[in-house]
Amino acid sequence: MARLARGDREALGPLMERHHRRLYRLALSYLRNADEALDAVQEVFVKAYQHAARWDGGSEVGPWLTRIAVNHSIDRYRRGRRRLAAETPLDEETGDRDVRLTTSDPSPERRVLGREVGERIASVLRSLPERQRAVFVLRHYDEMPLEDIARTLDMSLGTVKSSLHRAVHHMRERLEGLR
Amino acid sequence: MTWLFHGRWRERTSLLALGALEGREADGARAHVGGCPECADDLARLGRAVELAALDPLRAAEPPIGVPALLTRVSARLDAAAAPSPRRPVAVWLLPAGALAAGVAALLLYQPSPRPPVASPAVVSEPPVAVADDMLGRMERSVTRKQTARYLDEAQDLLLTVAASRPCARQSQRVDVGQEARRSRDLLARRALLVGTSGDDVASVRPVLRDVEYVLREVASLPSCARERDLQAIQREVSRRNLLMKIDLMTRELKG
Repeated sequence: MARLARGDREALGPLMERHHRRLYRLALSYLRNADEALDAVQEVFVKAYQHAARWDGGSEVGPWLTRIAVNHSIDRYRRGRRRLAAETPLDEETGDRDVRLTTSDPSPERRVLGREVGERIASVLRSLPERQRAVFVLRHYDEMPLEDIARTLDMSLGTVKSSLHRAVHHMRERLEGLR
Repeated sequence: MTWLFHGRWRERTSLLALGALEGREADGARAHVGGCPECADDLARLGRAVELAALDPLRAAEPPIGVPALLTRVSARLDAAAAPSPRRPVAVWLLPAGALAAGVAALLLYQPSPRPPVASPAVVSEPPVAVADDMLGRMERSVTRKQTARYLDEAQDLLLTVAASRPCARQSQRVDVGQEARRSRDLLARRALLVGTSGDDVASVRPVLRDVEYVLREVASLPSCARERDLQAIQREVSRRNLLMKIDLMTRELKG
């Protein structure tokens, strides 16, 4: 990060190596669209480079990048929703196709079930308020400890817990009947 | 046991099912569930839901591009951001739009009205601003579509050129693709700018853009004197994806 702050672009490579997969999955889980997620990851590293000087050298880079990724995904999702409200529906199939291309589940039954699960989760996530959605994504997809989620999203621990509770109950209602 | 009392434990049961509790908090929740059949049933059902949710394929999704390609895209964005006037195209459009808005405002102001001129300035000035914003949005979308169409045109040209590459002068079974590899890198950098700035406006073309990007990356990674069989593999990929035809259709759609 010190190299980045000095404007050394080469330093982006090792940073990407360490974090790009995790950030991609995080953005993908939130945005549910591979192209949007890739754009989001790209913007995370652009912002990391541009604001490297602001990074507090005492803290870890991972949570800082996560914070950028989550905030960017929330913004992007919000813009997308506004656009969808005004224009045509998002091509859901595009997202599905991306996922098929990038995952390798050998069992067809599991794969079909997985897709059904993914669609239902996407529908639950759409119904959740932005911050609640972010809390669930950080816990379920990034397995982030609750205290870290609270710090990342600048929320109280109690709010994180109640958000997760509500999200998981929504999830249970939508997933019951599968299998 | 009151509902209020259960309410406190319901939240912890949810967190327990998610594996989000640790230490004494987790022990306490487990102890409560052990003595509460209703909570145990809740935990079992939540546990099944969490297990199912773990099957979401997005949890294991891999980024569609590797670090070198991502680095190229980020560098292109940073270069664009560092350019002296990155928003110049918008400013160019702003001028006629602003002039038009001023014209509309003037028309509205000078329209003959049967009533005395008591309308508030806010009422008079609002419509032109709305017109300008809307028009600007349309113009920006139109610019994005044109840029995307041009990018696809050039990508198609490149794919046709690379298919007709000449043999390398001093090496047998190798073809000279140095120029095409360089052009591919340039196009990839431009593609990064397309997505980074106004990607929302070309959503319907994205599958083709993705396929094109994949093939361009393959071409960009070739050495100047590439093996014939590597080039043939790329051509097979282009053919398998019907890429030239798709580019044709999409370009036509973008150009209207």
